[in-house]
Amino acid sequence: MTNSIFRKEIQERIGEIKEADILVGIPSYNNARTIGHVVRAVQAGFAKYFPDKKCVLVNSDGGSTDNTMEIVRETAIEDFESVLIRHKLDMFKLATPYHGIPGKGSAFRTIFEIADALSVKGCAVVDSDLRSITPEWVELLLKPVIESDFDYVAPLYHRHKYDGTITNSIVYPLTRALYGKRIRQPIGGDFGFSGRLAKFYLTKDVWETDVARFGIDIWMTTTAIANNFKVCQSFLGAKIHDPKDPGADLSAMLYQVVSATFDLMETYAYLWKNIKASDPVPAFGFQYAVGLEPVSVNLDRMLERFRLGARELKDIWKEILPQEIISFLDNAAGLKKEDFNIPAEVWVEIIYGFAVAAHKKKMNREHLLKSLTPLYIGRTASFVIEAWNSDAQEVEKKIERLCMVFEEKKTILIERWD
Amino acid sequence: MNIYEAVITGPFRIFYEKVIQFLPNFITSIFILIVGIALGFLLKNILSWLFRAIGLDKASERSGAVELLKKGGVTEPFSKLLSRIIGWITVIIFAGISMSALQIPSVETLFERFLLYLPNMFIAFLIILFGYLLGNFFGRAALIASVNAGVRFSNLIGKVVKYLILILSATMALEQLGIGKETIVIAFAIIFGGIVLALAIAFGLGGRDLAKDYLDKKIKCEEKKDEINHL
Repeated sequence: MTNSIFRKEIQERIGEIKEADILVGIPSYNNARTIGHVVRAVQAGFAKYFPDKKCVLVNSDGGSTDNTMEIVRETAIEDFESVLIRHKLDMFKLATPYHGIPGKGSAFRTIFEIADALSVKGCAVVDSDLRSITPEWVELLLKPVIESDFDYVAPLYHRHKYDGTITNSIVYPLTRALYGKRIRQPIGGDFGFSGRLAKFYLTKDVWETDVARFGIDIWMTTTAIANNFKVCQSFLGAKIHDPKDPGADLSAMLYQVVSATFDLMETYAYLWKNIKASDPVPAFGFQYAVGLEPVSVNLDRMLERFRLGARELKDIWKEILPQEIISFLDNAAGLKKEDFNIPAEVWVEIIYGFAVAAHKKKMNREHLLKSLTPLYIGRTASFVIEAWNSDAQEVEKKIERLCMVFEEKKTILIERWD
Repeated sequence: MNIYEAVITGPFRIFYEKVIQFLPNFITSIFILIVGIALGFLLKNILSWLFRAIGLDKASERSGAVELLKKGGVTEPFSKLLSRIIGWITVIIFAGISMSALQIPSVETLFERFLLYLPNMFIAFLIILFGYLLGNFFGRAALIASVNAGVRFSNLIGKVVKYLILILSATMALEQLGIGKETIVIAFAIIFGGIVLALAIAFGLGGRDLAKDYLDKKIKCEEKKDEINHL
């Protein structure tokens, strides 16, 4: 393991702090608009829930040009009385640019290294573009580690039924079927973990792979499960982000997440092949219904993208998927919007087909996984149509059904894998 | 008598002497050729077995070489193909040596020139091979990227990228072989320039409305955006 090099002033600051109890890391890149709110929420969380602990807030920045780091340094809660029960705070703040491949994973690596250098007991990371974060998130992500000896705390959110579609249609059902743990938001982005686990993460040589980018979340979750760390979930409420153009580089995002997931399947093949079903994990926090902002969906454009893929990428898909799936997709491309449907059974065959093709190196990894994008868009369109009139509970049932199909068809994956 | 000897027996004697003189070289040459063929056959079988034993077929499948061969219409296992190529190379080398053994000056010169030309052929072969590989790779990359960007004529883009690389590699290979050096470079420049110009005119004239619609949509934000957060 090679440590990324801290700047001199950060080394000096670490020398001054020496040791800490808890650390919250915020990775950022041009988040000047929202990071102030996140920093205030974390500071309030420290003061309200951990007044007797030595707390450190770390901002690991990817070279922002909009004064993100300055905002972190300058942000402070002016009116402590409004949020605090006790006014005592032993808190330090560090803002540093990270080294390595540009991406969220590299930012996390710097946070792990600082956590390790300060020998913290509990650690958490939260996204810098959150608009719904409250001081309670700090408590919910860290208390299970500090007080109940858990090593990894995954988030549980209420999200809009069309939000988190990579999570709902690929990562959650696949991770659950493979490793047998029902972690609902394995790539949620906001996690709590022990200092012991942070140290363990640093022993892994993955920082030049997709883990350094969007693959970090699934890597952290899977590594924790597969290495028998104590895992739980905490209900955080609603997850609302700063609006951005989510379709901008969907293909690259999907590639990084799925590629990291498939890499982990290679690493832990000995483990997941022997797991037959899934179990729930302990959950913390009081669950309540929350109002969510509406999500606009352009269904026609999604179907157009799927049809374009079905027409142009059919020859590539033929090398990956069974003939009956190809025939089904061919037929689906010709259907009207109201009749369009990619059922769970077909979707599971597609994902398992791509996993086996990646394992058997049937073609260049990037070509293989980027050719999945139109299929993913097609499945998302199908889900949008299916869940058009469904409420949150009904949607959750549909996702549960998809998970069961992933688990039932796992034997097919194992047969084709070897 | 002298006339009979000069016209009839003399040439026969000379011919006979030359045949007697040439015969050992000929026999040696035939012997070398037979040894070469036998060695090539033996080598082919031994290597075929050896390659199979070390799992070359599986390794070539993983590396994508099999996919490439299939695209080129070759369905034989990689181990068999490679051992056959090595066998044939052995036979060709021995055929060359056997021709040298004949000690006929014109054949020797021809063989020497062939040997000197061989590296050019080898380099040209490598250029074509890499061109084929790169053409397929970048053609497919362009196709997938275009589909994911929602471009309707993605297939055309993929094919243009693939064939441009193939044409470029063919031009370089022919130049390496010394065939119509200047002509080929000029022809390539004309074809390439022509394609670019044709595309520019086609997009300029044919795509005017399309570009207008696109810009209208982008500037006026007419197209409804997705707000789905995928992660």
